Amino acid sequence: MNFKDNINLKISLIFGITFAVFIDLILSKLMANWSYSWLPVQASKAAPYVDNLFAFETGIGTFIFLGCSGVIGWVLLFNRAPKYDESYGEPIEGNIKLEIVWTLVPLFLVIAIAIYSTKVNTTLQNLGEKIKYDSQNELPIYLDQKQDSTDTLIDVIARQWNWEFKYPEGFSSSELHIPINKKVYFRLISKDVIHGFYIPAFRLKQDIIPGSIISYSLTPTREGTYRLRDSMFSGAYFSQNQTNVIVESNDSYQAWIKKTVKKVPVNGLNRAGLLYEKRLEKGDKGWATIPPSPPPIVNDPGDPDSPHDG
Amino acid sequence: MTTTKSDVLLHTPGHVKHDGHNLTGFIIFLCSESIIFFAFFVGYGVLKLTAPTWYPDGVSGIAVREPLINTIILVSSSFVIYFAERYLHKKNYWGFRIVWLVTMLMGSYFVYGQYIEWSELSFSLSSGVFGSLFYLLTGFHGLHVITGILLMGLMLIRSFIPGNYDSGEMGVESVSLFWHFVDVIWIILFVLIYVWQ
Amino acid sequence: MTITNYDERILKSNHPIPGAPNNWRRFFGFNTDAKVIGIQYIVTALVFLLLGGLLGMLIRGELITPPSDLFDPTVYNGLYTMHGTVMLFLFLFPILSGLTNLLVPPMIGAPDMAFPKLNALAFWLVPVFSIVLLTSFFVPGGPASSGWWSYPPVSIQNPLGHFLNGQMLWIVAIGLSGVSSIMGAINFVTTIIKMRAPGMGFFKMPIFIWTVLAAQILQLLGLPALTGGAVMLFFDLNFGTSFFNPETGGDPVLFQHFFWFYSHPAVYVMVLPVFGIFSELFPTYSRKPLFGYKFVAVASFGITILSLVVWVHHMFYTGTPMWMRNLFMFTTMLIAVPTGVKVFAWIATLWGGNLRLNTPMLFCLGGLFNFIFGGITGVMLATVPIDIHVGNTYFVVAHFHYIIFNTIAFGIFAGIYHWFPKFTGRMFYEGLGKIHFTLTFIGATLNWLPLHWAGLLGMPRRVASYDPEFAIWNVIASIGAFMLGVASIPFILNMVSSWSRGKKAPPNPWNAIGLEWLLPSPPPHENFEDDIPTVLNEPYNYGLNKPFVLDEEFYISKALNDS
Repeated sequence: MNFKDNINLKISLIFGITFAVFIDLILSKLMANWSYSWLPVQASKAAPYVDNLFAFETGIGTFIFLGCSGVIGWVLLFNRAPKYDESYGEPIEGNIKLEIVWTLVPLFLVIAIAIYSTKVNTTLQNLGEKIKYDSQNELPIYLDQKQDSTDTLIDVIARQWNWEFKYPEGFSSSELHIPINKKVYFRLISKDVIHGFYIPAFRLKQDIIPGSIISYSLTPTREGTYRLRDSMFSGAYFSQNQTNVIVESNDSYQAWIKKTVKKVPVNGLNRAGLLYEKRLEKGDKGWATIPPSPPPIVNDPGDPDSPHDG
Repeated sequence: MTTTKSDVLLHTPGHVKHDGHNLTGFIIFLCSESIIFFAFFVGYGVLKLTAPTWYPDGVSGIAVREPLINTIILVSSSFVIYFAERYLHKKNYWGFRIVWLVTMLMGSYFVYGQYIEWSELSFSLSSGVFGSLFYLLTGFHGLHVITGILLMGLMLIRSFIPGNYDSGEMGVESVSLFWHFVDVIWIILFVLIYVWQ
Repeated sequence: MTITNYDERILKSNHPIPGAPNNWRRFFGFNTDAKVIGIQYIVTALVFLLLGGLLGMLIRGELITPPSDLFDPTVYNGLYTMHGTVMLFLFLFPILSGLTNLLVPPMIGAPDMAFPKLNALAFWLVPVFSIVLLTSFFVPGGPASSGWWSYPPVSIQNPLGHFLNGQMLWIVAIGLSGVSSIMGAINFVTTIIKMRAPGMGFFKMPIFIWTVLAAQILQLLGLPALTGGAVMLFFDLNFGTSFFNPETGGDPVLFQHFFWFYSHPAVYVMVLPVFGIFSELFPTYSRKPLFGYKFVAVASFGITILSLVVWVHHMFYTGTPMWMRNLFMFTTMLIAVPTGVKVFAWIATLWGGNLRLNTPMLFCLGGLFNFIFGGITGVMLATVPIDIHVGNTYFVVAHFHYIIFNTIAFGIFAGIYHWFPKFTGRMFYEGLGKIHFTLTFIGATLNWLPLHWAGLLGMPRRVASYDPEFAIWNVIASIGAFMLGVASIPFILNMVSSWSRGKKAPPNPWNAIGLEWLLPSPPPHENFEDDIPTVLNEPYNYGLNKPFVLDEEFYISKALNDS
């Protein structure tokens, strides 16, 4: 091959690769932007941080995926052997420089992602202490050391298979009401098995461990109704263990408190109990389950059929 | 290129002596088995350090004297079994059999002592965290001691078969290794349960 | 057909004798030949693949609509628990043991495994623990229904209070499975370390042997931790002990540590042999050397070591302290590096090759493509803030099925097709194979790709019913699942009819390099018997002037003559 052809080949190769990388970068950026719409609405202070990190990883992931698939696709198009042709391909055993590059570049990339994620972690530091208490004894009073005596502290009690929220003003509710833009503290308590306190719109999840109480905090940033779902498998009617979280203005929240304190306590939301009763009516057919906990006695049983934003 | 099968290294006859691998396999097995015990040890440590209630009601510790005597006997039996192996190596079969039997008796004494200790304890397997761990660890270990004694019995019987050691003493070596393993596990157990109180 | 001219002993022989009709009965007894045991494992496992797949289709049948309207939720919970358990312990581990049994001795030039009787015993435990597990469907109260993780306290609630309950049978079955696996691991490790052909140093071994060695070492180190945890769970369940029961002072999270200390390396036990299969097949079907053989080999052990220190990434939201989360996030992300080395090596092997796109190669390419995607979602899951949002949702389910099925099962299919001629002596029907691949690839993608979005939007996993906004993703997924069910038909048809009536296979139908390809198809009882070749180089020198073994021509013609 003469000198001129070699140069032309090299130039078109470099141009081709640069063009491909450029297209890959554009597609990756588009994908990263699009990834925000794959997530629920952002309703807490934490959500934008999580979503940005996710978009970042989606972008990098798309770049790698398209790059690798592109090469594989190219090979599939242009390197197929004609039928009955078993001649050898290019006898390349390896390339130390390339090995070093594709070991070190991913290593640095992974370290960079880990450092970025650690920073986000620190920002998201919601988890307070997790302490174990002997379930034979009384629930001790516990406050997060950062908490002010004027901060809201709500007890979140998870059972098989309902939620109960106990407010400091002395009442309880089947739905979680919290005021917007104020940090609220929780004590996460389970009366039986492990449950998961998961609100997708807040991007926050914390398992609730029986035998311990876990202090937790978050700051909602968007008014609306969101789903709280039990995320850790907790038995037969686990999928029914869901309720609503209502974020409202401080005025609306205070009004709700005043109204609810005066309400007569009734049975709270307990879909699992209703389903279990239906099952018993039909002859208790099915595999074994413990009976659901009786519904919590609450002042506000909520409106489970109201629509949610995420 | 003409070659004949007699060329050295060109073609190697198969039929490797299969017996040659038994010890390797057994050592690998012991390494794996020790990890079950390590898992139990970690569980013991974590629960001891973090459980809200450790001892059951009415219990504030356990006696160390008798278990210590049992420990001394068990650990000494490791030296005794070593001498049994030496006798075998020198082809002193009766010497081997007698010292081997002594080892079995020392092991049996240990099991007996464990049984006595168990029957005199005031708590059971379902007596909270400490009860569960105590009986699990000592019980599991005791099962291994009993297994060791049974294996030793098997080796003892086999020592009477003529020509038993023609292809090596792998069986006795493996059982002996198992016995040492059981001893080391006990030493760690003893420190965890009886010393660290 | 008259068989009167054959000696009785030949007809009843435990191993194939060239020229004589096959004694198919030898596959049903206690046979110590690794090649028979391998087939026994594989066929048994494939039966359970169908069972696990049926359970999967029942799950997707329930989930095609939001409400829980097909089964009682307790039945759904038992179904998904058994789906996971059957697929992992009755299909995946046995089939990998089977492939390993078939391949290791011939690939390293050994006559058999180091401990043939132990090998047979390890196999026969599989029907035993399978029966134990499956009878749990019929005990009062039904089978274990707390997920394949069996987290306490929910798994030790034992509603009916019986000693013989589904969860207890599950623990016994898993314990026996562990015993069988450890027996196998002792065998494989000893065989590979001590019984290689002369000249085959570690850096001349096939990559499949490297990955098997790495995987079996992980089994030896990790399984006992699961056994320990399972024993403690058993005692909590049936004897009222307090290891994990918070009501009497135990710690439920401790179980999670025991469980995941094994179960994370377990996924590498499953994927490493498949990496090995990819490393064998890509060079053969690209007619090119494996790119960077030494790096690929060493990366196997990089993965092994790292996989032992990442288990807490399954517990990011269960109340672990922040320093622990950051540490394990870091170690988990590090695994991407040696894995990336392998992925890039395969792609570089393809580059400039002369590709043959038959069924095994298609499954490898599909598996590689899916693995890149699954690996990327894996790094996302390693990121703590993201995992806190998507953990325990369908994002995780989608990720792990992309690895377990869309990569590992694809690789297993590739391996079965590739080595089918070698061990059955017959060629398979390529047309049926391509149909199997097409249906499987489309079905698997439809089944699990949409579920990533269900998870991102907040659909929890293991639910029998869900909010209506997740319906569209579930409908598409269920269609994919049913397609996968249909895809098994051409596969089973192909296996059965090819083995009984396929064209006779030559010793080396793919023109591949490897000790197993220097043997007749199927290989004789003790593979190379009295005449083991001396290995000169690793088996990837396509197009290079580096001979594989000394006197290669002799072995090639011997294999042709002996067929």
